[in-house]
Amino acid sequence: MADLGRAALVVSLGLSVYALVAGTTSAVTGRRRLAASARNALYCSFGSTLIAAIVLATALVRHDFTFSYVAAHTNRTLPTAYALSAFWGGQEGSLLLWLLVLTGYGALAVALNRKLLRDLTAWVVPVLGGIASFFAFVLVAVASPFGTQTAPLDGAGLTPSLQNPYMVAHPPMLYLGYVGLSIPFAFAAGAMLSGRTDERWIVATRRWTLAAWAFLGFGQLLGAHWAYVEVGWGGYYAWDPVENAALMPWLAATAFLHSVMIQERKGMLKVWNMVLVALAFELSVFGTFLTRSGVVNSIHSFAKSPIGSWFLAFVVISTVFSLTLIMWRLPLLKAKTKLESALSREAAFLYNNLLLVALCLTVLWGVLFPIVTQLFKGETRTIGRPYYDFFLRAFGLPLLLLMGIGPLIAWRKTSARALVRTLAWPIVVTVVCGIALAFAGAGSSKPGLIAYTFSAFVLASIVLELVRGTRVTGSVFTLVSRNRRRYGGYVVHAAIVLLAIGVAGSSAYGRSKELRFTPGQSATISGYTLTLNSVRMTHTPNSNQTRAIFTVGGHWHGTLSSGTNQYFFPPEPSNAVGIKTDWLRAEDLYVIADDVNLKTHVVYAKVLVKPLVNLIWIAGIVFLLGAAITLWPDAREQRRLVTRLAPARA
Amino acid sequence: MTLALGIVLAAVVVLVVALPFLREPTTVDDRLDAPGEDEVRRLGLIEERDRALAALKELEFDHRAGTLGDRDYRELVGPLRQAVASALRALERDRSYGLGMTAFEPPELPPEPSPPPDEGTLPMPEPVPEPYPPPDEATIPQE
Repeated sequence: MADLGRAALVVSLGLSVYALVAGTTSAVTGRRRLAASARNALYCSFGSTLIAAIVLATALVRHDFTFSYVAAHTNRTLPTAYALSAFWGGQEGSLLLWLLVLTGYGALAVALNRKLLRDLTAWVVPVLGGIASFFAFVLVAVASPFGTQTAPLDGAGLTPSLQNPYMVAHPPMLYLGYVGLSIPFAFAAGAMLSGRTDERWIVATRRWTLAAWAFLGFGQLLGAHWAYVEVGWGGYYAWDPVENAALMPWLAATAFLHSVMIQERKGMLKVWNMVLVALAFELSVFGTFLTRSGVVNSIHSFAKSPIGSWFLAFVVISTVFSLTLIMWRLPLLKAKTKLESALSREAAFLYNNLLLVALCLTVLWGVLFPIVTQLFKGETRTIGRPYYDFFLRAFGLPLLLLMGIGPLIAWRKTSARALVRTLAWPIVVTVVCGIALAFAGAGSSKPGLIAYTFSAFVLASIVLELVRGTRVTGSVFTLVSRNRRRYGGYVVHAAIVLLAIGVAGSSAYGRSKELRFTPGQSATISGYTLTLNSVRMTHTPNSNQTRAIFTVGGHWHGTLSSGTNQYFFPPEPSNAVGIKTDWLRAEDLYVIADDVNLKTHVVYAKVLVKPLVNLIWIAGIVFLLGAAITLWPDAREQRRLVTRLAPARA
Repeated sequence: MTLALGIVLAAVVVLVVALPFLREPTTVDDRLDAPGEDEVRRLGLIEERDRALAALKELEFDHRAGTLGDRDYRELVGPLRQAVASALRALERDRSYGLGMTAFEPPELPPEPSPPPDEGTLPMPEPVPEPYPPPDEATIPQE
């Protein structure tokens, strides 16, 4: 069966190259049948990649260790769900998933727009063909998942930390996000290549961008929760280069989703939007380069492999291609109008964009810094958490504030008096909340207090908008269903506020202690009293599990166990943390007992109390809800688009 | 078995890719259906109209909701109505007199009959039509 997988990938490569070459030729010469043929090649490329994916998935489920990839990432005791998740647990399989999603997305996007945007899709096909050609080439020539060997008795097994339900969903979510950014990029490039830089490419890709952005955002939150419950270092985001690699394109896509509204409304920022689309796409590929090249140290990295240089070359070539296109089409991308006032919604969006891009570039510099120092000084220097935390506060807090101000300002311009009158209620709520929080002791952390009060401001402005809108329409349901994009956006804003409160609460007001326990010994932290009860070891077919059992008193009464698991296949250790969520107090008690001595019964443990951390996970659900509202199909909008984009036949 | 599957896959792929040529081995018109200058112009005008209409609807909504004060509303509504009106006029002109004229180019109308002596030669100001949102839409604008 490996031969079939290999053959399917070679066919996929051939089809992608054909889509690139025939698509370009047809678009340049204006040949209809050739364009249709190139389009069909893109569809077939998806079909062929799907066959390759089915071959690999079948081999994983059947534990067919004649496939080197299957033997390297699974073993016989691995449950079927985790065996399937090994599809993206290794380098080659995850690249195959990338190609599968890319060709699938591409085929669907082209099929949906081929009639209304015929001139545009003629150029979109070769762009997508070019991207798919690169990934198919890497899979065929550099990192094939269909390498074979004499079957060993058993496989090496999946890394223990990846044997977690979150790892079944988190990587595919990220891939759906990363790869989804290729679609707006391809349409933007198609618009520039065809010279049709009007708004049609934006209309065609609006939902694709939103979906990719939502997958990327939700995927990161899933990853954060996985880190929190599985990796066991007490946090959820470590500013790891690979985590940052997912954050950067998300920030660029967030900026694009806001600035594109200015283009739709005012015909401004066309160049800026092209730059943002290209930036989001390039950063998504750059993130893959980071993950796979081994140039940065990260717990998420795949083993060092030769594909890094191929990815770097692709990033360089596609960046040069994008910049050349933008420079070439500058005359077509000139704005028709100007910003009328610094006090307007478009100005607020512009400030928001500058802050988002500044934050994105700051993170990029933090990621690149070790590479730059290695290149120029011969030694690797890394940038630590304080750097990122500082810039997150410097750019994130004003962003939070703008999230509350933006929706309340009118387009074009607002007088200062009207602005003050509009903002009066949110400001009153903010001041009252700020004073109450300061009295409650939140003043111990100034950034935390600012984040809380700004969050109160944003929530107040969202509620005000909903109340005012409901007064006009008569019901919240009518209000939201008639303008899903605007009010779905507000729900997403509410999710970001919850996220901000959760991050501020757990980081600025969290408590932690490193403690040494002997049996019967107690320690107290933030009103919780922990007493070491016993130490034990249990054996499972794939691991030895060492646990320290604590009796907890104070705010909560019960037992909590924490320790380590030593796996046999592969022979790797893994932390098993003890977490107790107290919903009434809105905080987690988190115990990391990673040093348990079974002979002396001495336990070294780190105990943390993390207030409001669960708001981060709730934010994920609210974020999904908001994204679903904005993405929900709107029949009236579809009718309008068909009327608008259909060629005049009269 | 694998070889046979591979051959079938290759054959199907070749067939599908060649399908446009197999369907139409010879054709009179093999040109890609790209919009001409007039169509591009029409799309541009529609874009302008929709943009102005959406902005106008949002302005009305924000005014009714109380986000926008009366003074700001009065200041902003005029230019937006004018923008909608000029886009509609240009589209109407294209429909009536054929494509090819710019948005602000006056159409070549048949010569007016001489005005009666009491009206003099002063031109009558053209009324600015009210925008007409589609009936199936509420007054809520699309953001």
